Amino acid sequence: MKANRLFLMVALVATCFPATAQDTDAKRLYEENCGVCHQYDGGGVPMLQPELIGRPRANGPKGGVIEVILQGSTALAPTESDYGNEMPSFAHLSDLEIALIASYVRTHFENNGGPVTADDVKSRR
Amino acid sequence: MKANIFGVSLLIAAVGGGANALSPVGVAEDAAVDPATGISLPDGFKATVFADDVGQARHIVAAPNGWVYVALRRSVRGMGAVALYDPDGDGRSTERQYFAEGLQGSGVGVHDGHLYYSTDTAVMRWPLPESGAPTGDATIIAEGFVPETQHASKNFTFDGDGNLYVNVGAPSNACMREMRKKGSPGMRPCPILEKYAGIWRFDADTPNQDQMSDGHLYSTGIRNGLALAWNTHADALYMAQHGRDQFASFFPEMFSNEQSAELPSEEFHRLDDGSDVGWPYSYYDHIKGERMVMPEYGGDGQTVSNEGQDPLVGFPGHWAPNGMMFLKSDAVPADYRKGAFIAFHGSWNRAPLPQQGYRVVYLPMDDDGNVSGDWVTFANGFAGPEPVMNPRNAVHRPMGLAEGPDGAIYISSLMSGGRVWKVTYEGE
Repeated sequence: MKANRLFLMVALVATCFPATAQDTDAKRLYEENCGVCHQYDGGGVPMLQPELIGRPRANGPKGGVIEVILQGSTALAPTESDYGNEMPSFAHLSDLEIALIASYVRTHFENNGGPVTADDVKSRR
Repeated sequence: MKANIFGVSLLIAAVGGGANALSPVGVAEDAAVDPATGISLPDGFKATVFADDVGQARHIVAAPNGWVYVALRRSVRGMGAVALYDPDGDGRSTERQYFAEGLQGSGVGVHDGHLYYSTDTAVMRWPLPESGAPTGDATIIAEGFVPETQHASKNFTFDGDGNLYVNVGAPSNACMREMRKKGSPGMRPCPILEKYAGIWRFDADTPNQDQMSDGHLYSTGIRNGLALAWNTHADALYMAQHGRDQFASFFPEMFSNEQSAELPSEEFHRLDDGSDVGWPYSYYDHIKGERMVMPEYGGDGQTVSNEGQDPLVGFPGHWAPNGMMFLKSDAVPADYRKGAFIAFHGSWNRAPLPQQGYRVVYLPMDDDGNVSGDWVTFANGFAGPEPVMNPRNAVHRPMGLAEGPDGAIYISSLMSGGRVWKVTYEGE
């Protein structure tokens, strides 16, 4: 049953994101894992954590957000960040969870990069 | 009879703060802000905007020569500090000179005829000029601090015996094996304590002292003691530290969002030589009134710790104490003279709850440096009229504090272009 449900979720992400249920899961995952630092509105914190609003990585190639979630701030070039806190890797999350979070960031906060799939995450691990 | 006594007590409390005549009233939480300055103050105090658009102002010092010097977190046209002057004494500076070419920093201070300044890796000084910005190269006094991004500011203060005390913040949240990663345990012993997470003492006059070979580890177990000041009344060092972040993110089974917003305390300490504040092994819970075992070290939110001294006061969580000052002059009423002014930069780590802090508080203390009453808010309204859900929406965030030679109080903020206020006591 669980496997079936997972399959269904993967299929949904791949085919028809953003579905309402997916968006609910994505919002929950974002808020649980990212919200405290990047803030619930994606606005970040001056000097400490970058805002996610209108960011090139969330409007460009599919790997832009996935790589930061997988590698943390080591994925960023030194010139790309003026923020004090380092971001840890979230590679312990599943491909699907990372896909949902990356899709949420790429389709919210004035970003239009579009959704990504669990396979997009898997291929970048 | 009992009702009468109660009535009398209320009356005394209303007029003079109870039996202790030195209990300040502070400014009410809902007091109107002065539209000209954007802040509210206790009755009798008046503010002016001393300087606007100075840049990202960090710590400030008001020197005996009448100039106010401001360290800048990010340089302005290549300069990492600015000198401000108000020639006609109307509370608004009209002269401004940027200096510290090629540098940027956080700490600034005056000691024994010199202007001191710190980048993230060194403390240096120039002879204090008669007026304006210093010229020429600065002399390095303390160096060898490891370059970091987290908690990297090297704020400092001086005692009366020619010593310089430098805060070396921990580039870490709770000394977790894997940085800020849910489920990662804390390291014991915490290797970060060797070069960070403490106050190092140096001779204030000797050039080129290295942190590890020349500095003395004066106090340890301090995550980041940005608010650091010498209390000349008690002749002792005081510090308020930034407590760790993210209890609810890492330990949702132990801490609700509401608990995580309030904990751990922002701890206010007297620091004597050899003192240990307990980070990363413990934290303070001001609601319980106990020092607790840090969850990364086996704590469960309920287990008391015996590692680290208790604070004198535990302020609400995440308020971010960034500046501290003890006054030397008698320019303010007696009930504001001996205690600690603490500038709280305001929180980011209380989401999804509204953020808090964003104020300057006054903590009453006696001649011996003992806390003698409850803290009150001295200056408020910095963040603006709306509840702050995200700190980037705060109009201003208090940062540095300084006392001028005439007893005026200066407050800095790095938001909205950077501002410095001047506060004076004008009487009732």
